[in-house]
Amino acid sequence: MCDAQLPYLCVFKKITMRIHQDLKMAEVIHLNHHLLHVINRFGIQLGFAEKTVAEVCEEYKVPLGFFLEIVNTFDDPTYFPIENLKLFKASMLISYLQKTHQYYLEYKIPEIEQFIKKLNANISIGDDIKALLADFFGQYKTELTTHINKEEQRVYPYILALEHFIESGQGKEELILKMKEYSIHEYEEDHDDVESKLFDLKNIIIKYIPQPKDSRDLNVILHELFELEKDLHNHGHIEDLILVPIVERMENEVSENHKELLR
Amino acid sequence: MKMEPVGLLVVEPSLLIREGLKTVLSQLGLAFRMEETDTKVRDFARLISKTAANIVIVNPSLLPADFVINRVGSQTVFIGLLSQGSEPTGQFDYVIDYCYSRHEILEVLEEALKKAGFSKSKDESVSLSERETEILKWVSLGLTNNEISEKLFISTHTVMTHRKNITRKLSIKTVSGLTVYAILIGLIKPEELKGSSRTD
Repeated sequence: MCDAQLPYLCVFKKITMRIHQDLKMAEVIHLNHHLLHVINRFGIQLGFAEKTVAEVCEEYKVPLGFFLEIVNTFDDPTYFPIENLKLFKASMLISYLQKTHQYYLEYKIPEIEQFIKKLNANISIGDDIKALLADFFGQYKTELTTHINKEEQRVYPYILALEHFIESGQGKEELILKMKEYSIHEYEEDHDDVESKLFDLKNIIIKYIPQPKDSRDLNVILHELFELEKDLHNHGHIEDLILVPIVERMENEVSENHKELLR
Repeated sequence: MKMEPVGLLVVEPSLLIREGLKTVLSQLGLAFRMEETDTKVRDFARLISKTAANIVIVNPSLLPADFVINRVGSQTVFIGLLSQGSEPTGQFDYVIDYCYSRHEILEVLEEALKKAGFSKSKDESVSLSERETEILKWVSLGLTNNEISEKLFISTHTVMTHRKNITRKLSIKTVSGLTVYAILIGLIKPEELKGSSRTD
């Protein structure tokens, strides 16, 4: 994990490095290059020159506080922005989460499919094995897509209607309709199986595929799967620890002030 | 091998030392829960039973001068934490000195874990038993727990226990994952799968 020569430096960096507004954006990427596609989701692209995080955010009109919480949550899984939670609007979070969905469905999954297709040229892996992998990944894709569609079509519209009603006092009928269909408590439970399938696919490739003469093509796929898993994990973390509490707070507010909305 | 997390009690005044211990402990790759105290302990025996510690790492300077470790009916392992030059007392099972290297500390901790019954035993079988293989086959073919229990004349509870063990041994959680595994090892043929009923 760390360079054996520099144990202290490694630990130091891990524990204390919070990404803050005066850090240069280029340094942030050096610190953790996995943040690149997180940053892209805010519309921010490469070519940072000497600009700081604050300057880049200003240039792209990205709310600085929100940006910092998202990158820090991604960078350090133990980081949890309790204090700053109240500052965020649900719509802000949803827009970020939707960009993440887009990244999975339009970029990451097709990319992995390409790598799986490329396996066909590798004659050291049996055709039946390739077919099994492609089929299993196909099933995974279907489940992930279903899960994402459910969030986009049912969960997010409900949350947005809730926020709209609290802010403007309008859209009560729409909200009642959506509330009957949905409450945030139903959320979360089906993250499980999507995660398990990815876990299984990794283990099948690592442990149980008949030894190929050349595993480099499989290494690439594994690398992609690990990366996807890390990203999905962070996505779920943001949903469960940031979005759900915000929605629960809004639900409480509405049910206290508008008893007529309760059945 | 015990599967529950190792219970640790650390009695040490220095925050730096306690944090350092945690860092080294995390390298053992074992789940542990740790209670810590940085003040003088009056009733050592009570503290140990309250925390249900398996391993106690203690700086004797926080214990009463006349403390005696009571080992009757207890499997707790005691490690003395000694600052440079302080006299070890003969009561501890092991000793960690402040200036031990990472390697020396890990060695002591591994020995202590073994003594407390947490050693990683190698003989734990990781391959599937005959019964588990049979159940894996039916699971992969899409049978429910109920159907399997009827087929093999065992309770659904037993089927579930077998399935848990299969998942633990193979690190495969979903039915479709188990199906792929069963095909890979030649337990079933792809043609045997009934229709497309491979939902989890």
